[in-house]
Amino acid sequence: MTGVPLAHGVGSRHDLPLSPFYAYAGAFTALLVSFLALGLLWSSSRFRGDEAGRPVPAALQRVADAPATRTTLRLLGAAAALLFLLHLLLGPDDPDRNPAPGALYVLLWVGLVPASLLLGPVWRLLNPLRTLHSLRPPRSPRPIPAALGIRPAAAGLLLFTWLELVAPDNTSTTTLLIALAVHAGVQLIGAARYGDRWFAHADPFEVYSSLLARLSPLGRRADGRLVLRSPFHSLDSTPQTPGLVATVCVLLGSTAYDGLSDNPRWITTLQTSSLDPTVTATLGLLAVVALVAAFYGLCAGALRLMDRSLTTPLTSFAHSLLPIALGYLVAHYFSLFVTEGPRTVIMAAGTDNALSPAPPLGPGGLATLQVAAIVTGHVLGVVAAHDRSVRLFPPARAVAGQLPLFVLMIAYTLGGIGLLIA
Amino acid sequence: MTHPRGAAAPLLSLVLVLAAALSLSGCGGRATTHHKPGTTHEEASGSSGTLLPARDESGHRLREVPAATAPTVRVEVRPDTEGGWNVHLTVERFRFTPDSTGGAALPGRGHARLLADGRETARLYGAWGYVPPGVRTLTVRLHADDHTVWAVAGAPVQATVRLDGTPAASAPPSATGTGTAAPPTTPPSATGTDTATTAPPTPLPSETGRTVTLTITGKTVQPPPDRIELKKGERLTLRVTGDRADTLHVHGYDRELPLSPGVPATLTLTADRTGLFEVETHDSGLLLTQLVVR
Repeated sequence: MTGVPLAHGVGSRHDLPLSPFYAYAGAFTALLVSFLALGLLWSSSRFRGDEAGRPVPAALQRVADAPATRTTLRLLGAAAALLFLLHLLLGPDDPDRNPAPGALYVLLWVGLVPASLLLGPVWRLLNPLRTLHSLRPPRSPRPIPAALGIRPAAAGLLLFTWLELVAPDNTSTTTLLIALAVHAGVQLIGAARYGDRWFAHADPFEVYSSLLARLSPLGRRADGRLVLRSPFHSLDSTPQTPGLVATVCVLLGSTAYDGLSDNPRWITTLQTSSLDPTVTATLGLLAVVALVAAFYGLCAGALRLMDRSLTTPLTSFAHSLLPIALGYLVAHYFSLFVTEGPRTVIMAAGTDNALSPAPPLGPGGLATLQVAAIVTGHVLGVVAAHDRSVRLFPPARAVAGQLPLFVLMIAYTLGGIGLLIA
Repeated sequence: MTHPRGAAAPLLSLVLVLAAALSLSGCGGRATTHHKPGTTHEEASGSSGTLLPARDESGHRLREVPAATAPTVRVEVRPDTEGGWNVHLTVERFRFTPDSTGGAALPGRGHARLLADGRETARLYGAWGYVPPGVRTLTVRLHADDHTVWAVAGAPVQATVRLDGTPAASAPPSATGTGTAAPPTTPPSATGTDTATTAPPTPLPSETGRTVTLTITGKTVQPPPDRIELKKGERLTLRVTGDRADTLHVHGYDRELPLSPGVPATLTLTADRTGLFEVETHDSGLLLTQLVVR
């Protein structure tokens, strides 16, 4: 496989293109909900971020916070990482017989979505690099520059999605070992300098998992209690760190490129361009991410024009794009996860020539799920943005103020549905 | 060993002599006890049935037997997931006797021969066999051990089945006797974008479902990569001509096809999984087309 890389790294079955019925139904719902929200939603902010939530029973919190639980999770993460490394080093160089590529591209990358949605930022608890780092923590770590934010993680996520969607031979053990070495090197050197706070800023999987956990009903209140609450509160408490916009744009753009890379016209462009296909595909990925970011920049500019007092239009609303990114992720990766995930586990258990199970949903059911995921993400995004805008804008301008955001979200949602048709 | 030392040596020499004698008699001269009575190499011993002067297409003479004692054969086929067909024979008053093939004809014994589109392609020494894709009519004929054809009323004992390219989506077609495997249907003809005009017309596309012709020249694919829309269960034949030695790979179905420069190669598959699948070449890494199976 030297030319066009397989999308998703692993898996030979792609989802069917959406039939126009589902696409129109989804687009119509998204538009309707947006305009209903403009008129009907509350006029003073309701989401209280970190302050909200009903505490879980104290016993449950004790178990969750117990050092034994934490140690067990660390050991689990370390054992899984060791198994992954051994498969990479000793296993056959064939994604059909080696579970390592599936473990990375499906179990980790896609599996973190449901895990984080259910349980919160799980990768922080499992991260084997944190475990490795805790064996020799630095004596006097330096403070992390405030301007850094989660920008290193955004770059890491872009690199990972490049590996997943563009890189040639992205399932070969050599490529994966190199990627693993680079990732571990960057993280461990950074952590040796800045202490273990570095992981929360720079580890792409930790940042990805923590951001997705903002949509989990399980959260932690400002006073440290483990609480159950509406995901809107958690979403509202997303820290507005530098790099949040970049991270969200990478997530949206890379998933959109994943949809684009199935399009025969794009494939023809790749194959007939005078450039190397990998270079063209890299440019394509960067262009899609840049396009998503440019739309967001335009929208932020419009917001700033409407209200001069809004000093940080870029980061103020970035959290409302997270549900949209989640909708994209679910729509694109659901069937991969339910078919290739079990196959990877079966392979890891030692079965040769494991067949991937049939998808649990028929074409109609899958299309419904995909459109529902994108539209739900859109609706959650609209509600989150509405609440933020009634808090930031003076009441007279609250409705008009969110118009640019609504236009942006409709553009993202229609774009997302459009890529599922293509 | 509990033998006293003195007895061992004579015993050993006796064994050696015996072994030598046995091997000499085995190699030397033509064995007279090799054939059981009535199983010499002559074609017709005349003891079972009547040898007719008529011959079948392959030149074997027919051996007439009364209908009441004649063997019968029925054939069932079902499509294989890798293309082609799995064949199952049900015979009555007949035994497969591969170990005496070439011997004299004995009533109710022998083997079966497969005739693909009228041409003899294989023998069956048992009930199960396989026919590669592309065959449209399969005839199974019963032969005696001496290679003559068992016949009733001057006609060979045989069963014919049509291997139509349109197996039903759920139930595989099976037919018995001389019936057809499936009612003849008209599969949807390939649309303009799917068939190339550069390649020679494909013979009888109706028997193998849809036929799509692709030509690879350097890095360009003619027609350019597009999607082939298929219904689940539909048959698809890909005719691919490359300009270099390569391997074609249909993802998801995991079918491969070696390509040699300038020679059209054909791959037939039954689209029995829904989804979007890519058809690629391995060495040049070109995507040729995508299969959209709904």
